[in-house]
Amino acid sequence: MTLLIAYPKGRLGDELLEKIGVSALGPAVDPGRALKVPAREPGVELVFLKGADLVEYVARNVAALGVVGSDALDEKDVDVLELADLGLGRCRLSVSAPVGVSLGDLAKKKHLRLATKFVRRTQRWLDRQGITAELVPLTSSIELAPALGLADAIVDLVQTGRTLVENGLLEIECITQVSGRLIAARGAYLADPRRIDHLASLIVRASA
Amino acid sequence: MAIHRPHFPDLLFDQTARFRAWEQELSQLFRARGYRELSPSLVMSKMREGAVRCIDGEHIVGLRWDFTEALADLLALRFDAPPGRVSYRGAVFRRPAHEWEPVERFEVGVESITGPEDVQAADRELVRLLLEVPAQVGLRGCAVQLGSAALLAEPLRVEAIPVAVATEVATWLSRRAPHRVYDALDGSPARARLVAHAECLLAGDIAKSPYAGQLEGAYRELLDTENVARAAISADVGPHAVTLRVDTADVAGFAFYTGPTLRLWAPHAAFELGAGGRYDGLYPQLGKPWHAAGFCIRLARLLDLADAHPELFTQVAT
Repeated sequence: MTLLIAYPKGRLGDELLEKIGVSALGPAVDPGRALKVPAREPGVELVFLKGADLVEYVARNVAALGVVGSDALDEKDVDVLELADLGLGRCRLSVSAPVGVSLGDLAKKKHLRLATKFVRRTQRWLDRQGITAELVPLTSSIELAPALGLADAIVDLVQTGRTLVENGLLEIECITQVSGRLIAARGAYLADPRRIDHLASLIVRASA
Repeated sequence: MAIHRPHFPDLLFDQTARFRAWEQELSQLFRARGYRELSPSLVMSKMREGAVRCIDGEHIVGLRWDFTEALADLLALRFDAPPGRVSYRGAVFRRPAHEWEPVERFEVGVESITGPEDVQAADRELVRLLLEVPAQVGLRGCAVQLGSAALLAEPLRVEAIPVAVATEVATWLSRRAPHRVYDALDGSPARARLVAHAECLLAGDIAKSPYAGQLEGAYRELLDTENVARAAISADVGPHAVTLRVDTADVAGFAFYTGPTLRLWAPHAAFELGAGGRYDGLYPQLGKPWHAAGFCIRLARLLDLADAHPELFTQVAT
């Protein structure tokens, strides 16, 4: 039976394919713009998906395995197996504010507004900190929000911090470390744990 | 007030026929094994967070979210002695974990409510009964997974881990993510011991766990259940033969289950098709010193599976 593995698009996907591209679980042909291609390993096909969608495909057992950022995984919080932290695409989910504004300043605000793509994870952090805030859900160019008055600060992924600096922001609190995770559908794992373990070990080895 | 209609499944002719046939087959099986059917009210006598509620004039009514709890309320109130084998069938209404899941779900199931002397016999009987289910609904390629929430609950209790952290640890362990267990225990003095224990559960090697001494009883119970299941399976080589898997890291539901747990899976299924286990904490909370275990079969998920993968069924009733 053909088994589907979902790889992420974007920066994490590029990093993964750089490492895994020549291995058995790399694409057998140049994918170009194709979203589904055979892998070198017989009986395995690869699909290329965006993070949040990828989690759905694995959660519903359409794809048996997938690689996705822990940020997307935490936002979905679905019952998938998380077999390994691949350590790829390392970055931080952080609170960033205009230069000169501290976390204490934000916590004291009567009506704090935080712009973010990561609503669930941010809310969990706020709950733990005992801070209340209005979350402004955005999907792109989050760094613009404080400068244009849409929010007081942002919660977003930070890798080098250069985009923040270019937009007058500074990282003031790291909420969590983010990295690529190898996930598996629970049903697929139960149906054939040996095959899933074998494929998982190939991915872990190739991406080390 | 706006009328909200979440995802309730409408069943058309073929699905209804299939659903009724399965419900009847399973009810007959349970009856043949001595389980007497009870039908607790669709309206719960208490309310809990997350219950699907209706407005009745000035009152709020909570719909049945779970048969185990509905039966426990009924049995603890009406019986002086543990009633033994009972079965049920009907709908439960639950807020879905995922948006694609229906709110109204059809279930059939059994519970065995006994005194302490019948606990082992009841566990063995239930696992044998669950193994008979795939043949009744014509489903092939199934796997039954055995776990034990007690293998995690005891170490967490010994280390006095707060409930919120314990829940997180159980979630990540069940998802086979020891790196997340490590993160969840940040700041706990028991972190190294519990992570080592988690690794042992994932490897199925309880003997190496720092808590091995405390877990002998729970582990023996799981192995007994496994032996009974293996003996039952070895006699069956037909198209509905079931594969048995023991996963000591399957500790899901550790706050409720107190002994061996059972799950029924099929290839391609997004969710388990049946689930249950031993839960000895519920009846004492209701003032009855009874022991209980059971499982339910989720017919709504079986219907979805039959639609998506008819090839998994030897005969699909229409």
